[in-house]
Amino acid sequence: MTATIPAATLLGVDGHAVDVEVHVSNGLPCFTVVGLPDASCREARDRVRAALLSSGQAWPQRRITVNLAPSTIRKGGAALDLPIAVAVLVADGVVPAEAVRDTAFLGELGLDGSIRPVTGTLSLVDAISSATVVVAAASAVEARLPRRHRVRSAEHLTEVIDALLGKAPWPDLPIAPPAAVPQPAPDLVDVRGQPHGRWAMEVAAAGGHHVLLVGPPGAGKTMLARRLPGLLPPLDRAGALEVTRVHSAAGLPLPPGGLVEWPPLRAPHHGASAVSLIGGGSGWLRPGEISTAHRGVLLLDEIAEFPAAVLDALRQPLEEGVVRVARAKATVTFPARFLLVGTMNPCPCGDGGPPGSCRCSEQARQRYGRRLSGPLLDRFDLRVPVMRPLVEDLLAAPQAGRSLESSSVVAQRVAQARTHAVGRGVRTNADLPAELLDVLAPMDTPATAVLEYKLRVGALSARGLHRIHRVARTIADLDGADVIGEEHVCGALELRTDIDLLEQA
Amino acid sequence: MTDDPQAPYAAALASLPLMTVRRLTTLIGAGAPEAVWRTVAGGGARSLPGLAGVLGASVAEVSSRWAEAAGHQDVSASWAQLRDAGRSAVWFGGPGYPSRLAADPEPPPVLFVEGALDQIAGPAAALVGTRAATGYGRDVARLLGRQLAEAGVVVVSGLALGIDGAAHEGALAAVGAPPVAVVGSGLDVVYPRRHSRLWQRVARAGVVVTEAPPGAAPEPWRFPLRNRVIAGLSDVVVVVESRATGGSMHTVDHAHARGRPVLAVPGSIMSGQSTGTNQLLAEGATPVRDADDVLVALSLAGTWSAAGRPGSVAVEPEPEPEPALDRIASLVLEAVDWTPTRTDEILRRTGLSLSAAAVTLTRLEVLGRVRGGGGWWERRSHADRSP
Repeated sequence: MTATIPAATLLGVDGHAVDVEVHVSNGLPCFTVVGLPDASCREARDRVRAALLSSGQAWPQRRITVNLAPSTIRKGGAALDLPIAVAVLVADGVVPAEAVRDTAFLGELGLDGSIRPVTGTLSLVDAISSATVVVAAASAVEARLPRRHRVRSAEHLTEVIDALLGKAPWPDLPIAPPAAVPQPAPDLVDVRGQPHGRWAMEVAAAGGHHVLLVGPPGAGKTMLARRLPGLLPPLDRAGALEVTRVHSAAGLPLPPGGLVEWPPLRAPHHGASAVSLIGGGSGWLRPGEISTAHRGVLLLDEIAEFPAAVLDALRQPLEEGVVRVARAKATVTFPARFLLVGTMNPCPCGDGGPPGSCRCSEQARQRYGRRLSGPLLDRFDLRVPVMRPLVEDLLAAPQAGRSLESSSVVAQRVAQARTHAVGRGVRTNADLPAELLDVLAPMDTPATAVLEYKLRVGALSARGLHRIHRVARTIADLDGADVIGEEHVCGALELRTDIDLLEQA
Repeated sequence: MTDDPQAPYAAALASLPLMTVRRLTTLIGAGAPEAVWRTVAGGGARSLPGLAGVLGASVAEVSSRWAEAAGHQDVSASWAQLRDAGRSAVWFGGPGYPSRLAADPEPPPVLFVEGALDQIAGPAAALVGTRAATGYGRDVARLLGRQLAEAGVVVVSGLALGIDGAAHEGALAAVGAPPVAVVGSGLDVVYPRRHSRLWQRVARAGVVVTEAPPGAAPEPWRFPLRNRVIAGLSDVVVVVESRATGGSMHTVDHAHARGRPVLAVPGSIMSGQSTGTNQLLAEGATPVRDADDVLVALSLAGTWSAAGRPGSVAVEPEPEPEPALDRIASLVLEAVDWTPTRTDEILRRTGLSLSAAAVTLTRLEVLGRVRGGGGWWERRSHADRSP
């Protein structure tokens, strides 16, 4: 008269194991769901009944109580449709309890009995301890990613019932397409000219430095930024699983192999709200753009157009690599370790041009520069000038050596450089603590002399000094040098521009 | 000046609401400031000679506003506050009023002063120009400011961003004549904020004057008036860098109206920031090639060099020979123009990689041969290597 089926529900990006208990007893026919279901979960009643009837089963005219345990966790989404349906069949005696021993179910039911995939399948399956998991056919590839369960899949409820009753074998699993298809990302070879921009992308990828690209419209800032993920090393399996969990929970389409193996690029428009960027939302706590950009690149195009409150919400995640979203009913932690790329114009008129040529008023320029708060601006180790490419560079025959390297060549140098940072005990050079810079990133005398000169003439501040130091360390890593030399410091200085550069005396 | 019993009343008159230069000129011209103040406070402003004509139809309204404001004001307390802040005021006709302005066609009726006003003695040159100055313009302003001050010429400017600031910095770097700043806001309203330190240094070493009463905001209409005071305080006006439509051209108009010689620094014909100065040259202004040209316009060249004053331009030693550059450095230096040049253009001309060029450019920068940042580089003349 009772049945218990293991399943799972999603909270944030994490799965939580749930037991679906069904009790069928004599009494007035009714069907209730208890155990803190949310609206979409309560609607399961109607879907389950219709799906069972469509599958040729009789609906028991008895008193049916569904309990979702533990009752402290709020259950959302439709993933519990299939386990409820199976539990009803077991409790009603249609399916023997023996057939569902140690088997968990996940899936949304259509009124015709079809089984649909659910968001966050990877996390849900990962939370289940049963040996066997039954999911929708469309989720089968994803459900196999944890590699701990025997995965069964079906497209229709009748297939599940027939398999459980032994009338038919389980349907074949869909064949997973070969994994690790090379990413069809835009290649750096398409970028003509832009010596600063290309180098900055390489340094950013190698050192994990956040980049602000400053230049007039049409100079190629976005084009450069879109090539940054292709320079980052591919994700290792743990990283790929982390990213896939977030993408799956956010309902983003996954690649054919099921696993997100390349660093993602997310580029929200500047109309984005704080919640869409950070994550959250009422009812369903959904990961935001900064979490879907986890281990990849978050591109904020025209960053000065984002509302100040939205930008300032990025500061804590940038610091900690995670974002904690607290709501009255639950608090969840989303991963959010991303490389931030911002683009902006040098001033409101956007024309750029040589220093002194801009016609914007002093106030207008200052107001524009102030749209980025100091603490946020501080996170950008690289603030790179991007100019419209020279006509000669645009038309140059594609043979001129260094300026036309492809992404794969640069990516090799980047991967090499990143190993040096790991040797220093940090993920990337951007994480080097300021107080340990002199110990972990020593400089030779000519390099120090250059910085001394810049400090003396007031072209560099103390904070700017740390940024230059970190970037110079990364440039030295790319160069394979143990000690930071003059050329590395000069390179770091060349890759830097100030927002109100025109006012530099 | 300290003992002038009328000055507090002149300052109080200048601080009345709805005050304009024309109205204040009439008030100050109507008699001793104290007597005028009592008349105004008593609501009798309309009876003062000439005021009814200046005020026209609004005479009744303005008189009552003035009387009301005057009733609320404690003249001696305001004056004490001004003096406590180390400031003072002089009025047209009163003691301590600068003699150059006393002969001006439009003399400022009341001037608020921080610093010692009697330092504005001897030859004076105004150095003016655009706020959005190029590195070249700043260098020239700083150089002229320093050399003129060393030659004993008072450098007058407006404490604005760009050329003005560089001119004051140059004058402050010299051992010589004190710097003079004429500003467009009240002495307690520092504008632009970025120049607050420079403002203090000028006030300490020289003098800051303004027509605006304490608390007055830097309203746009005050700046053309400020420019007339700059022209009035100077014997010559040097435009360092200005667009053809720039505010410095107002200063030039005022200088012409007062018969003061106008000099202009030649600029690149490719640079928008030099269209005004080049136009002035085409119209017959004296070109400024170095501080000597300014000293000649001041009829000083002979006197100062004859005196053999140390550090003056006329006897400045020949610049030291340039240190020899290696092949790469010469190649890179050759690729940098005297106007801002893009780094990628330098790379194209030299065929160097960005990292190699960056090292060489920075070395040249330390040597004072180029100046750069933000993807642009330009050559520097050997004349001014002080950073």
